[in-house]
Amino acid sequence: MKIEGMIFAIVTVFFAGVTPVYWFMSEDPTGTTALVLTFGLGAMIAFYFLLLSRRFPPRPEDRDGEVEELAGEYGFYSPHSWWPLAAAGAVSMVFIGLVFAWFIFIIGVALAAMAAVGWVFEYYRGEYAH
Amino acid sequence: MTDVASATAVDAAHTRQPERPNLVAVGVIVWLSSELMFFAALFAIYFTLRSNAPALWDQQSELLNVPFSLLNTTVLVLSSVTCQLGVLRAERGQVGRLGTVFQVGKWGMREWFVLTFLMGAFFIGGQVFEYAELAMHEGLTLSSDPYGSIFYLATGFHGLHVTLGLIAFLFLLGRTYMTRRFTHEQATSTIVVSYYWHFVDVVWIALFLTIYVVK
Repeated sequence: MKIEGMIFAIVTVFFAGVTPVYWFMSEDPTGTTALVLTFGLGAMIAFYFLLLSRRFPPRPEDRDGEVEELAGEYGFYSPHSWWPLAAAGAVSMVFIGLVFAWFIFIIGVALAAMAAVGWVFEYYRGEYAH
Repeated sequence: MTDVASATAVDAAHTRQPERPNLVAVGVIVWLSSELMFFAALFAIYFTLRSNAPALWDQQSELLNVPFSLLNTTVLVLSSVTCQLGVLRAERGQVGRLGTVFQVGKWGMREWFVLTFLMGAFFIGGQVFEYAELAMHEGLTLSSDPYGSIFYLATGFHGLHVTLGLIAFLFLLGRTYMTRRFTHEQATSTIVVSYYWHFVDVVWIALFLTIYVVK
């Protein structure tokens, strides 16, 4: 993770230098705000990745390892699911409802709640119950 | 007997955890950094409008009830602490309490997350109360003036994020009650929801300092 961390550290250092220069030369609050928070974006990822690189030993891809060393369990990932499609449809209704009519919005919120429940609990019910 | 032995060997190979960062946690941090840019747009609107209408800002920011909001902020910041205490329990795999409800030291992940939920709900309730006061008694609304527009947009989008976090807490707690064992997947969810919660908390501190303290 060290390489990834360093890439974002470069972003952070760059914006740390550029932001004050921009502010003193333009005194523009809009751009300065954007630059300050872009600095934050880089700093946040750099901090987390460099923290991980200290906490974990170098991964196979960090030290020219073998492909087989990457085998093992990474966590649980759904092989396939219809719920994201249902959620996307429901959220589309929510936003269409915001523009056109409140009743569409309310139906959309109800459907979005159902889709979220279905998605979150898909592998906790029925034949997947554990 | 040989069957049992070989099955165990296969299981051992299958459940080997590679010593590498959790992919879900890494993904959530990258996503949260993009959320930061979403809030960057709101902060940029705020500072742009303020630089164009300083007189309006002097006048309208007087309407804010700073002590009340400070109380609300304190509750939200402390909810990050209780959330982290819950994560520490989840990392140990301790989902429920080991003593009675009143033995706080023996609380598990569930108890700490229920408390975090209540504190987050208190914050949202406080915000709704604050909105009602401003809109009905002071006449500050989304369309009354530029100050009202960005005040409600910025704090409202943040409130929406807190609300979604509260829903995530409910899902997380629901999952712990639906299974017999506290799984690795549930521990991962607990950790990433706590990342989200801390992020939303930090954004609020920035919003509070910008809107209520610096004015």
